[in-house]
Amino acid sequence: MNGLRVLLVRIASLFHRRNLDADLEEEVRTHLELATADNVARGLSQSAARTAAMRSFGGVSQIKEGYRQQRGLPIFEILVRDFQYSLRQLWKAPGFTITTVLTLAIGIGVNTAIFSMMDAIVLHPLAVPDLDRVVTMTEEQGRGEYKQVALANYQSWLQQNHSFEDLAVRQYASLSLTGSGEATNVDVDYTSANFFHILRAKPLLGRLYEPSECQHGQDHVAVLSYAFWRKHFAADPAIMGHTVRLDDHVYTIVGVMQKSMQYPSTAELFLPLAPTPTQLEDRTSHDYLVLGRLRRGVTMGQVQAEMRVIAERLARSYPASNLGYSVKIEPLLDAINGDLTPLYFRLVLAAAVFVLLVVCANVANLQFVRGIARRPEIAVRTALGAGRNRLLVHLLMENIVLGLLGAIGGLILAAISLHFCAISMPERVARYVAGWSNVSLNGRALAFSLLLAIGAGLVSGMLPALKSLRVNLVDQLKAGSRTTSGSRQTHRLRDLFAISQISLSVLLVIGAALMCKGMWSMLHVADAYQPRQSLTFNITLPAARYATDEKSVAWYQDSLERLRSLPGVTHAEVTTALPDGQDGWSEEVSLENRPTVPGKFQSAMHLAVSAGYFQALHITILAGRLFNGNDTLSSQPVAMVSGKFAERYFPGDNPIGHRIRMGAASEGKDTWVRVVGVCSDVNYDWVDRSNEPAVYFNVAQMPPGHVTYILTTTGNPLLLAGSVHSALAAIDSRIALDGVQTYQQYLNDCLVGLLYVAVWLTVDAGVGLLLAAIGIFGVMANIVAERSREIALRIVLGANPKDMLRMILRRAAILTAAGVISGFVLAGALARLSASLLFGVSPSDPLVFLSISGAVTAIALLVSWGPARRAASIDPMRAIRTD
Amino acid sequence: MGDKSDVLQGTLDLMVLKTLESMGPLHGYGIARRIEQVSDNSLSLNQGTIYPALLRLEQRGWIKSEWGASETNRRAKFYSLSRTGRKQIEKETENWERTAATMARFLAPSS
Repeated sequence: MNGLRVLLVRIASLFHRRNLDADLEEEVRTHLELATADNVARGLSQSAARTAAMRSFGGVSQIKEGYRQQRGLPIFEILVRDFQYSLRQLWKAPGFTITTVLTLAIGIGVNTAIFSMMDAIVLHPLAVPDLDRVVTMTEEQGRGEYKQVALANYQSWLQQNHSFEDLAVRQYASLSLTGSGEATNVDVDYTSANFFHILRAKPLLGRLYEPSECQHGQDHVAVLSYAFWRKHFAADPAIMGHTVRLDDHVYTIVGVMQKSMQYPSTAELFLPLAPTPTQLEDRTSHDYLVLGRLRRGVTMGQVQAEMRVIAERLARSYPASNLGYSVKIEPLLDAINGDLTPLYFRLVLAAAVFVLLVVCANVANLQFVRGIARRPEIAVRTALGAGRNRLLVHLLMENIVLGLLGAIGGLILAAISLHFCAISMPERVARYVAGWSNVSLNGRALAFSLLLAIGAGLVSGMLPALKSLRVNLVDQLKAGSRTTSGSRQTHRLRDLFAISQISLSVLLVIGAALMCKGMWSMLHVADAYQPRQSLTFNITLPAARYATDEKSVAWYQDSLERLRSLPGVTHAEVTTALPDGQDGWSEEVSLENRPTVPGKFQSAMHLAVSAGYFQALHITILAGRLFNGNDTLSSQPVAMVSGKFAERYFPGDNPIGHRIRMGAASEGKDTWVRVVGVCSDVNYDWVDRSNEPAVYFNVAQMPPGHVTYILTTTGNPLLLAGSVHSALAAIDSRIALDGVQTYQQYLNDCLVGLLYVAVWLTVDAGVGLLLAAIGIFGVMANIVAERSREIALRIVLGANPKDMLRMILRRAAILTAAGVISGFVLAGALARLSASLLFGVSPSDPLVFLSISGAVTAIALLVSWGPARRAASIDPMRAIRTD
Repeated sequence: MGDKSDVLQGTLDLMVLKTLESMGPLHGYGIARRIEQVSDNSLSLNQGTIYPALLRLEQRGWIKSEWGASETNRRAKFYSLSRTGRKQIEKETENWERTAATMARFLAPSS
């Protein structure tokens, strides 16, 4: 009660400070007069009486100050006053202010931009309430072989679990959208009706579909994604009830999803998943993704334990399909982010923090110089009774003001760089990045930059402020004392800052260089396939119209013949995955008459290619034969395997003539395939470059529904796009061509994330290096300025100006060497720690380490050359006379 | 200057309250003099420190102040006890006695 009353009285006093000050003034005056009068009455002279009164009163200013502190809210008042005072002081030193604010703006801007992206993409990609309770579930075969879920298993989980509020299932599909203009492929998701409820997603317009519509025959309704609605229907709110034609089925639009609902990020339309009774019984087709929302209070450990029990029970009941399978449960956020993205962001953010540290060191050095100039002011304030803490707050306030001004600049810089990131990201890649369209400077980014501003202000200001409080009162107040040199300890601190700047910038530049070098090698990894002269695109054969293998094979034969006859085309082939790309998928493989232990699995990449694929990409044949025209739908199915496959599954044996099978045996069909050839290894996974064993099937025998075409050309491949379109439209105009681009562009798309990392690191390194160069220049210039009298004296006494030059340069060299060596060691350690992140990078790359250390040393010495020259050209007479 | 040991905050507050209780409304100088006299000048108190203490007591609502004319006919602020202040004296006295008794036990020669 009392505390509150006091607080209110104190706050009230803030509003009539001036009156209260006058009251206090009068009260003190009365007091002194009464005391003087008493003293006179006791027989003292007027002046002695007054002196005695003053003495017994105590320090008038201190008492008044104490009184004021008791009266108002001193901290608040002090802060406000210091804030205003700092602004005035900074206004009076525009050079210092502009330099410092710009430096801080760079540091804060880089950090805020990266934080905003990280916030939108990694931390909050989905606007889902209680996102931490939403998990995805996949089946794990053996150890580490993840598969999607079979529908019957999902049904069992649904019935047997007690941990989940609900489970939902979804399945990705690519369908061709026809009816309006040229056919296009759209990405859709078939989902169960409760999928939306698990994500707590509400429609923007219309309604979502009901469980009754997830039944065969009732399922011709569609919910549009926000982006699809904007793109194809110009955000027309009266769209409900219209129809879309997908793969020759007609769907009625019943709703539009909200913009914030970006899971899965690729889904353009949501359609009801209406499984047939046979599909519901199927435990071998692992084609579905399962999503669940945990009951409140259920931990990951509990749900994992329960699902383990269920999986074991299913393995006992259905050993043929379920033995060796367990369930992997992962928070949805982790599933969206994957392993690499958060790591990349952490790497880039760490680099940005290093830049901010370089910035702080620079600002601190500027503050040291300013602190020396401000000594008389500090001395006067101390003499007038300002307390140490009071002065410290005052000095730090100036840094916080600088930090806040820097934050304003930083936010502007961040907005600009985010804009550049947004426009440089290809749309075809952005759609795979959940949350990309949410990247913006939101409240969290503002709070983050504010935090950085205050933090940077305090970090860069604390030491200089503490230093400048240590003034020798008497020396400073002596008239004419104009010492401009700092104490020995100040020098040591400043040296330390310069060294750490150089050290951090060496670290940043080495990191960026390693990353860029890795990036460069990644960009050229597929050069053997001449990706710049090749055109690629994808097609999906609509299952309804290409229901039989005969029809599909005819399409492939016809389309390839027509493409090969186009002028400028040297090869035209199809494949299900391009080398060094991201479309390869691996599958379980069985060898005839060589059963494996149940529960132990062997896998290989599954590819379907046209016969000429190997020649077109210069893949050599190690044994056996290539596919040829005699391999048809009616002949024995054949396969080619990679060298690695032969080595791993037929060690010391010739695989040719043996029969193998990929995937699970299905529906009693004889799916054994005879191996007829062995080819050299090709990598189909840009992340894991270990050349997994591969099995190639012939599209003329086992035609897939979705393929990539690759055309090698003699000229500019992109110029062929038009004639390719019309050649294929002549066969079937309702087949859409997706992602028409050069093979190199396709590879680059895989690397976009990495490219961003490399660019950010390079920017960070450039900024760091620039700031460090400015920093060491400042330190050296200051040393020369402070020692100008000493240097002048030495020259007068006969020293050679060249020796002075050497003296200054030697000092620069010592600082630089210390910085470069520590940065070198630091970079080595950090590179080793993050080696797994940097593809194609060897953490111990002596060429990079040495050349960069050399370059930074050269830059540091170069910028020190100016101050050193000045030292050598000091005019002794003038330097000595100035004081 | 001399060695002026700080008077404990609570102690000074109690002295002020007791002074106002026995003397009635009084201005700052009067209170300071009275404290000096009662303590027989053994307490070396900066008279000025009385003012922050008076403010503190006023903020808590234990005393009130009013402008009036001093004996030399100057405008002076006169302080007087409020009703809560009177009650507070009892509490503060108790507190003080308890503290003093505790201290006395510490300072007594141990047996």
